[in-house]
Amino acid sequence: MTDVMQPSTGPLKQIAMVFDLNKCMGCQSCSVGCKVLWTQEEGEEHEWWMTVNTQPGKGTPKDWETMGGGLKDGVPVPGQQPGRADFGGGWEFNYQEVFYEGKGNSVHLKPIETDDGRNEWGMNWDEDQGAGEYPNAYYFYLPRLCNHCTRPVCAEACPSGAMYKRREDGIVLRNEDQCQGFRMCMEACPYKKIYFNYARKVAQHCIMCFPRLEEGVAPVCARQCPGRLAFVGFLDDEEGPIHKMVNEWGIAVPLHAEYGTGPNIFYVPPLSPYRLHEDLSIDYDTPRIPPEYLESLFGPKVHSALATLQSELETVRGGGSSEILDTLIVYNWLDLFGPFTNDPAELDRSPQSIPVEISAKK
Amino acid sequence: MQVSKVSSDLSDPGAAGWSGVTAESVALAPMPIDAQPTEYVRTKWSALSYGNVAEAKVAAAHDGATAWVRLEWADSDQPNTEFPDCAAVYFPAGGDAPAATIGSEAATVNLWFWRSDEESGRHLTGNGPGVFRPQDGAVSAAASLDGGRWAVVLAHPVAELRDGGRLGVAVWDGSNEERAGIGAATTEWVSLSIDS
Repeated sequence: MTDVMQPSTGPLKQIAMVFDLNKCMGCQSCSVGCKVLWTQEEGEEHEWWMTVNTQPGKGTPKDWETMGGGLKDGVPVPGQQPGRADFGGGWEFNYQEVFYEGKGNSVHLKPIETDDGRNEWGMNWDEDQGAGEYPNAYYFYLPRLCNHCTRPVCAEACPSGAMYKRREDGIVLRNEDQCQGFRMCMEACPYKKIYFNYARKVAQHCIMCFPRLEEGVAPVCARQCPGRLAFVGFLDDEEGPIHKMVNEWGIAVPLHAEYGTGPNIFYVPPLSPYRLHEDLSIDYDTPRIPPEYLESLFGPKVHSALATLQSELETVRGGGSSEILDTLIVYNWLDLFGPFTNDPAELDRSPQSIPVEISAKK
Repeated sequence: MQVSKVSSDLSDPGAAGWSGVTAESVALAPMPIDAQPTEYVRTKWSALSYGNVAEAKVAAAHDGATAWVRLEWADSDQPNTEFPDCAAVYFPAGGDAPAATIGSEAATVNLWFWRSDEESGRHLTGNGPGVFRPQDGAVSAAASLDGGRWAVVLAHPVAELRDGGRLGVAVWDGSNEERAGIGAATTEWVSLSIDS
């Protein structure tokens, strides 16, 4: 219900992440790690709580930025519930026909046709298309997950009070036993990062790997990332890199802050090479990625963020040192994970270590 | 409304035994927009049309242990969307529960809830339009769609119907994306006279 979201009962601390887009290579290790850990069951085929999309692009669900939701002047904006066709993916293939019915040389492997439009899109459908014309084509990758917003409009929209923002760390969660599948949350979420499980008839979204966090282990998306670009920690930790990048140095900015929900996932925006003139000489005045495009995603603060990054680069190129660049380089892998540096492989996994209520379910 | 005592199983909406049970026509109206529990729902639906099923035929019977409530209404002929058609009957669970909003924060109702995409019914509590939570105890359901009319039978131990003494009805048109408090419900309780 709405009252759990009021500031008087707001979170004591807020978990947050920063993704350095200059290092993201679109490898999908984060999304696959998440998929393997959380959304492998029936009804979750199309669910990717973590996604990486090529920008500019339609993303996932398709054209999500046009689907409404969020807040304008503090008032909810009506939104659209992304449907099965908008997410696409979760295809079923004709394995039986190809492998077991003697048609291996006549029929090729393909998704089985459905009437719900799922075969027309997928979570990474427009990969590497980007925008611009040769020789000035451009694109970059944008990892996205639930923003665990400071004002979770999803939870506020839920009639049955199934969602809440956890007091100890600000994670937005859903009691699936209480969820009635009304999907108001999916409409209200402006980031369209809530999925509907068609088998269990409940909505689902990123839980920030809270069972891992509770054991001091970083979320799987961050830990699986080979690019050392996903920082995890508490936004309130003034000594931590996230607070410094967001609040002190201003180099990490939220996505679509104008949606009004106070997202807690931040991005170090992408620098880009310069444009080339028609004669292929370098136009030193114009970055390849149009600044106005980046502003449309990350707001006007993206310009000062990029200027700071550029100036720090020049400092280092001139022989100086930069705490900002040292932070972004991440010399020590575990520096990414704030207080969540435990190795899941080293945790006690004996039967006795499993809480009674979980082992009873199994 | 008379709740007849019968000796045959009436869990099937097409059961012959229903012909001996008098059905009443019950008027339905959109659940009030002002009573919707969240600002999002009020904002989204204030300018949209919903709850257009104006009438349902209701019949009820019991065999001393199980009560069956049969609902019948005209389905909209719009194509289906992602949302199922739904229907519910509900009974006050003590307190002065309003019928038009399926209970209130202060006064709970017991719901027997059916949705067209599930085999069984759901047993819920209601504390306002769409303020539904699961509760223990199974509700069974059977439905048929014939000639553009839904017929649904919901079944549960008769005690809940006896305790409530009154009955409310709600219907949601899935093709209009109706769910939660966005649907049609009885504005007044239907008093029950239960044969012993």
